[in-house]
Amino acid sequence: MQLSATQPGNRESQTKVPNRSDQCLWTGFLRSAERFHGRPAVIVDGKTLSYDALRGLACRIAATIQSHTYDAQAPLTAVFAYRSPVAFAGVLGSLLAGHGYVPLNRTFPVHRTQVMLERSECQSMVVDMGSLPQLDQLLPCIRRPLLIVLPDLEDPSRLRQQWPMHVFVSSRDLVPMNLWRQPSVDPDAIAYLLFTSGSTGIPKGVMVAHRNAAAFLEYMVDRYGVTEADRLSQMFDMTFDLSVFDMFVAWEAGACVCCPSQKTLIKPSAFVEEMGLTIWFSVPSTAMFMKQLGMLKPGRFSSLRWSLFCGEPLPVSSATAWLQAAPNSTLENLYGPTELTIACSLYRWDPLRSPAECERGIVPIGYPYPDMDVLVVDEALNEVEPGQQGELLMNGPQMCLGYWKDPDKTAAAFVIPAGKNEIYYRTGDLVRRPVGKAPLTHLGRTDFQVKVLGHRVELGEIEAIVRDASGLEGVVAVGWPETAGGYGGVEVVLEGAPRDAAILRRSIASRLPEYMVPRRFHFMDRLPRNVNGKFDRPAIKGLLDRGLCTSATRRT
Amino acid sequence: MHECNAKDLRDFLNLYLVEKLQAEGRGFPDDFGDSCDLLLSGVIDSLGLVELMTALQERCGREIDFDALDPEQMTKVGPLCDFVADQMERFPSSEKLAISGGSLLV
Repeated sequence: MQLSATQPGNRESQTKVPNRSDQCLWTGFLRSAERFHGRPAVIVDGKTLSYDALRGLACRIAATIQSHTYDAQAPLTAVFAYRSPVAFAGVLGSLLAGHGYVPLNRTFPVHRTQVMLERSECQSMVVDMGSLPQLDQLLPCIRRPLLIVLPDLEDPSRLRQQWPMHVFVSSRDLVPMNLWRQPSVDPDAIAYLLFTSGSTGIPKGVMVAHRNAAAFLEYMVDRYGVTEADRLSQMFDMTFDLSVFDMFVAWEAGACVCCPSQKTLIKPSAFVEEMGLTIWFSVPSTAMFMKQLGMLKPGRFSSLRWSLFCGEPLPVSSATAWLQAAPNSTLENLYGPTELTIACSLYRWDPLRSPAECERGIVPIGYPYPDMDVLVVDEALNEVEPGQQGELLMNGPQMCLGYWKDPDKTAAAFVIPAGKNEIYYRTGDLVRRPVGKAPLTHLGRTDFQVKVLGHRVELGEIEAIVRDASGLEGVVAVGWPETAGGYGGVEVVLEGAPRDAAILRRSIASRLPEYMVPRRFHFMDRLPRNVNGKFDRPAIKGLLDRGLCTSATRRT
Repeated sequence: MHECNAKDLRDFLNLYLVEKLQAEGRGFPDDFGDSCDLLLSGVIDSLGLVELMTALQERCGREIDFDALDPEQMTKVGPLCDFVADQMERFPSSEKLAISGGSLLV
């Protein structure tokens, strides 16, 4: 039985909602700003912003948005900024204006950003200086007038002249902070709209409500005992929902979030030391890279008290190597799809007990957060016996509102299993139903979603775009090469006469983020099929593994 | 073992990148200049960088301690080659390098 759950009101009665009606994503920041005026709130791009400074800029952005937007039906503001003070102030400013924020990313192709901007129907956008070149490419494609706030640009005259349809507000024209009006709190309103890979070729917008985020934050701040003395890493781009942990767990407690540059992301070892980080949070791939490049020297990250990983399976080898480098820290593996708000289960690594609890060399995803319910089901959504494998379903206060303007996809993913009277989210993750007090172990996916360096990728989305770009019908994308916790990239096998791979790649790269662009294209006269006539993915993957496809690669 | 002075490494890197881009069906310049930033120009991603560094170590026949390399410079062709050549010259025997464990990639 399935139930459409597009309306927040529907969900309200279906899930356990703690009494947090006074809470939303931004209240913790304002509370900390009242207590910790001069303490650092964020270090980014070589600059330190105190709580006072960050609140000041965020409130001016919020007041600017409030004074220019009149349409109550447009509750979202886009933030087109990357690892800059404006990125952080833009997120807060959107929220303090009473809007949800929609993170955009200048390292994504402009076409994808355009799709996100148009689908979200944002009427306002905060943009940093570094994203101006991409803004110039984006605006010709936008048909609706936008309010474009540029908090670190002094002179917008060139933009005003070039794009007369839009309203540009520069740093000089920001509305003063005293005109900002604190918005009323609606715990069911969207806090952020985050686009994830969609299997049909169009990114899906996940609507996360304030109360979802508040439930998550309350547990995390408490569990990790975060205080104003803490310094958290910001390894995640804002288009990755794990970034919400970095920012808002820090701000909830008066701590400082430390944001490395794009390059330091790859080699963050010196950054950990220089910043004196106390809480580390990244995808396991980062630990794997650091290990491979000899950066995990024993005892090196002595300042860390928590080492947290999330986003893809955590190999035991990465966990143990990391702990040698960060011996004063406790390591936890977090798990959670965007739809369940950042993370909803976790596992604490114990050097003595854990090795026996791991399956396939992967650290368990552990135990659900206190208010989250777990169900492990078969294909008919009937609960499987303890010890059996099945799809992981979860519900609770962190279950999101559904997909933005997409009741069909929402109905397919948010279901009421037989014998239950609550909506559960289908994660698509294959787990083993624990026996007794054993932890949940992650065994893979039930569908065609893969993790590429921690990013969630629907192979179907890549296939749809490759089909369109190549004009060929037979297209199979596979994760390749396999790494310890996921995949290094994606390769595509096409059925038909070889196309010019350079042209194909250019066309695809203009529509997908780099990590989704196939690393190689292989052409075959006929793809292997199974008895049902479907493409035989394991067989195709086997060809790649054995290097048998390489000769078919079209070289330019 | 191959020559590992800065020029040889540049030639090796150039060939490596051309072959990689060819295999991926992508265009490439005649020469990746010293200041070419491989990451920001989109030539490689983070996994590509790890693969490249692994290839450099294989070329040199031993592990290289990349820890001392400035992150802002590590994705630029010139500084990367100079760094590796310098490491080879200063620490001709791999025992002198501080290497932390871990097998090489993929």
